[in-house]
Amino acid sequence: MIALAVGIPWVAAVALLFLDGRRRWVGWLAVTAAAAGFGTVAALAALVVVDGPREVVAGGWPPGVGIVLRADALGVAFAVLSSGVLLVALAQQVIAGVRSRTFPALVLFLATGLTGLFLTGDVFNFYVFFELSMIAAYVLTTYGGRARQTGGAFIFAVVNLLGSFIFLIAVAAIYHVTGTLEMRAVADQLAVVEPSTVILIAVALFVAFGVKLGLFPFHFWLPVVYAGARPTVAAILGGALANIGSYGVLRFGAGLLPRELELGAVALLVIGGASIVYGSLQAVSRRTAPEVLAYSSIGQVGYVLVALSVGGRAGLAAAVVFALVNSLNKALLFLTVELRGWLVGAAFAVGALSVTGVPPSAGFFGKAALFRAGLDAGDVAVVVLLFLGGALSFVYMFQIYQRDHWRPASATAPGGSSPLAARAIAIGLAMLVIALGVWPEPLISIGEDAASALLGGR
Amino acid sequence: MLRLLPAIIALGAFAAILAGWAAGGGAVEAAWAPSWGLELSFELDGLGALYGLLATGIGFPVFAYAARYLPLHLDHQGRSHREEWRFFGLLLLFMVSMVGLVTARDLILLFVFWDLTAVSSYFLIGYDRQEAEARSSALMALLVTGVTAVLLLAAILLLWAEYGTFSLPELAARARPGALVTGAGVLVAIAGLAKSAQVPFHFWLPRAMAAPTPVSAYLHSAAMVAAGVFLLARFYPLLALSGLVLDLLLAAGLASIAIGGVLALTCDRLKQVLAYSTISQYGYVATMYGLGGGKSVAAAAFYVLSHALAKSALFLTAGAVTEATGEDRLSRLGGLARSMPALAVGSGLAAAGLAALPLTIGFFKDELFFAASFDDSWPAAVAAVAAAGLTFAYIGRFWLRIFAGRRRSDAVRLPPLLTAPVAVLGLAVLLGGAFAPPFGDLAAAAARASAGAVPPIEPAYHLDARAENLMALAAYATGILLLAAPWLWRRPAAWVASTGARLGPERAYTVGLAGLNRFSDAIHEIEVRDLRSRIAAVLVPGGALAVAGLAATPTAGAYRAGTLSTDDLALVLTLAVVALAAIGTAAPRHHLTLLLSVAGVGFGLAVVYALLGGPDVALVAVLVETVAALVFLGVFALVPRDVLRRMEAIPTPRRRRWRDPAIGIFAGAVVFFVVWGALSRPSPAAAIADEHVRLAPQAHAKDVVTAILADFRGLDTLGEITVIAVALVGVTTLLARGRLR
Repeated sequence: MIALAVGIPWVAAVALLFLDGRRRWVGWLAVTAAAAGFGTVAALAALVVVDGPREVVAGGWPPGVGIVLRADALGVAFAVLSSGVLLVALAQQVIAGVRSRTFPALVLFLATGLTGLFLTGDVFNFYVFFELSMIAAYVLTTYGGRARQTGGAFIFAVVNLLGSFIFLIAVAAIYHVTGTLEMRAVADQLAVVEPSTVILIAVALFVAFGVKLGLFPFHFWLPVVYAGARPTVAAILGGALANIGSYGVLRFGAGLLPRELELGAVALLVIGGASIVYGSLQAVSRRTAPEVLAYSSIGQVGYVLVALSVGGRAGLAAAVVFALVNSLNKALLFLTVELRGWLVGAAFAVGALSVTGVPPSAGFFGKAALFRAGLDAGDVAVVVLLFLGGALSFVYMFQIYQRDHWRPASATAPGGSSPLAARAIAIGLAMLVIALGVWPEPLISIGEDAASALLGGR
Repeated sequence: MLRLLPAIIALGAFAAILAGWAAGGGAVEAAWAPSWGLELSFELDGLGALYGLLATGIGFPVFAYAARYLPLHLDHQGRSHREEWRFFGLLLLFMVSMVGLVTARDLILLFVFWDLTAVSSYFLIGYDRQEAEARSSALMALLVTGVTAVLLLAAILLLWAEYGTFSLPELAARARPGALVTGAGVLVAIAGLAKSAQVPFHFWLPRAMAAPTPVSAYLHSAAMVAAGVFLLARFYPLLALSGLVLDLLLAAGLASIAIGGVLALTCDRLKQVLAYSTISQYGYVATMYGLGGGKSVAAAAFYVLSHALAKSALFLTAGAVTEATGEDRLSRLGGLARSMPALAVGSGLAAAGLAALPLTIGFFKDELFFAASFDDSWPAAVAAVAAAGLTFAYIGRFWLRIFAGRRRSDAVRLPPLLTAPVAVLGLAVLLGGAFAPPFGDLAAAAARASAGAVPPIEPAYHLDARAENLMALAAYATGILLLAAPWLWRRPAAWVASTGARLGPERAYTVGLAGLNRFSDAIHEIEVRDLRSRIAAVLVPGGALAVAGLAATPTAGAYRAGTLSTDDLALVLTLAVVALAAIGTAAPRHHLTLLLSVAGVGFGLAVVYALLGGPDVALVAVLVETVAALVFLGVFALVPRDVLRRMEAIPTPRRRRWRDPAIGIFAGAVVFFVVWGALSRPSPAAAIADEHVRLAPQAHAKDVVTAILADFRGLDTLGEITVIAVALVGVTTLLARGRLR
């Protein structure tokens, strides 16, 4: 089942390389393959939620000799979300018309990489899938072909290759000090190695994922890339690719390096807080929705870090829930950016409410989980940060909402309403956000399960 | 007919709540989010019945009014009638949220409905979205009520963290006085006061009058603003545990009575007068909760009921008058009683109710208010009389300026649906004055839900010289005096208005919002924009974190240097060459020199691998370096010669000359320590590599490397091949742009 989840998009992607993605039927073929991949991941997730984690070793070797693929609640939650976001983004681009031969194949390669890295239990294999996802993302960012996209992709690639390189150093160091690459064994070994060595490995991992997440002050590549990319690509970057960072800090921080995570709690709080304040303040007066959303992303990932700094079961669960919700919000909002029509405005409003954490939206439970964790731990600084960031998010989300959707000039934007199918996707996502706000149990329980998976893994 | 559907729904809901209440209330429960212990738990208690009946009972006439008003409104603005359903949808959403809010027993559920009322209010205020004023007013209302709502959430979770329940009845039973309950109480009070537009959060309400009139009549007089004091009533068992919270309510309430009343006296625009009046009226309610005690709480509940009836009628009157005359200022209106007698009578009854004249329900609201304040202290009694006098004066001025005196404008005939709701509400005010006991019972039941045992409310007329009657007479006298002698108050009131505009919270809001946007622009100016600085922004903080990590852990014995023998000479020399070549990459300006320097590093490292006993790795490294160098050469050949020259001629800025090497050295040093730290650890005895060596024959491989690449970690190999394929695809995609397509 795990192999199938990774294999379907991989096979489809390779096959699509030989076809012209600009043709409509090829596009729909790619959508079908993405849907099949998503369905497999969703089925896997259902199995994991009901029966507990599943594991398979590539080649049938003993764990550690062969590569371990493991699906636990944390992994499948991110995998389902990411492949879902990729599916809708791809579908929307196909509806609007694909203008590059390779676009559908690249999206499926990205799906392969993401599914693989969320479902692997091997540190180096994680790196391989990480690299696959990143390279597909670099190329996807050039989609559109204008100077904005190419320039953005260049910055994206250069800065993030640096991040990947730092990650690789950390992987090499991990292998040297533990003699293994299998995550559970790595966690056991790292717990007994001298802290001074492990802390440097932890910092290297943190910097690598910090770059990926776009945390302040590693974020400087992010706005130009998100704002420059085409909306569907931006939705992919913000809704799927950014999950690598959140997942990475959770898996490597809370899963493999819990001791170092606790040691660095203050640093996490400071950096997370700085991201929240800085990103939100930058977002306030940006003139276009993509820019606002880009800076908002910087602020929102800060919450994940803050939740990690709170730690404990509640903190980890909050980090997971918030990261998932945030990706969903960003995917929804980026997908609505270029659409027009009043229902699209409503979809954007739902996304804006979700970002600000107003019920009945999924974002409310993301924010409530954070508050709950902070108050449970009696952490006043966290609560104040949450309040401040929340207040600023009201300002920036609704200023841009009114600017884009309420001003008379915007109502009669060129082109009138967008294709019905494209709008239907955005509206469907908005309804999902509301549905998760009305019935939050799946979201909350997957967060709790993921936290148990992280805590029980050692 | 379809337009009347919302009104019919409201009437049906009213009847349902009334029937439910008559049947003795009741509760429903269902699981919601068991992981958090959340329940879909509703109960129709006295408080819920009072506010639920208000929301639906006032909803009915207002929706009926809107059915006629809205098409006219849209016609005036040249908008499509298709926008109607959005309006009614939002109104209904609001009504449902309001009923949900007042019956919710689970606090998270309560919060969900609390925010829903704010959201629907936001969209309704901004309904005329083409107007800048509506947009900024909507944003203001959302920011004030939405941000303060977060405080309510914080309070709910704070109480949960301490007492472990989201259920309000359980919470009330478990809570004990203390800093935590006081803190949570202050947060709840702020949220409630902001929603009820109490000083200093009052400024959003007059702005919210940018909404179409039915919205003002419904949300901003009877329902949404009432939600604020509802919250106070709901949380009263907790709020009452802290004297500080009650004092806070008292202070905010008294300030709101005074400021709202004075500004209502001076305003010229109809809806503004009523908005300030609403601020002042809810000030009474907040004051009564602040006074505390069963009697005050009962008086507060009764006050909300009677005020809502009267005020919504007056708002509808304002809308009807503006519709008929096209004027929305008191100074341009007058003498309309003759041309619209029904409206005059209906609104006259409502105004009389607000002014607390006998035979209206309003008389009892003031009677209870007077009794509660008289029981408290004599300053409270004096303040109560002054407040009632002020109310009498501004509402008298409002009605008289519209309907009495000289006629200043023409009025067209109004459709009956714009007049009838006012008459209905006016009659309700009169009915409440004539048959007050049912209303009193409802209010007493609501008060019991807040404060437990409260004395029954027995409204009746007593023709004797009891304190309440004397206070009422004093209040009438004060009001008449204020009306008759405007020169008494004109200058101080104008001073209050201008000082408020200059120094008040509204100014703080606008200045703050503009300042925030300017600040955001300013910090956006200094965002890093060039590639080198972007990289530096990763290296420097990353390095600093590593240094901090080193400082936080013991380093004694963590770094070992090992020994060096003469056999290592070749290795050391090669490494020295590599290091020199690496430093050299920073110097050249010519692209080809740079390439050779980079290749030098790579080939040097290949030699190092060979010396360390890895000839196969060395061979791979040589191949990779050769290919990479050739690719670079090919790329240089593709780039036009003059572009390369131009790039080479760009001088390095002076401050860069030292900054970039310094950053490079720092980052290099940090990586050096990371690697050194790792290499100082002995490799664990049981490395997986040994297993690989042992199992290689089983993989049918002649050597271990093949076994690892092709079998043990074949998935990695496959992945890396895919990476290369995707990179190729990327390169071809980029190259195809413009030429190969």
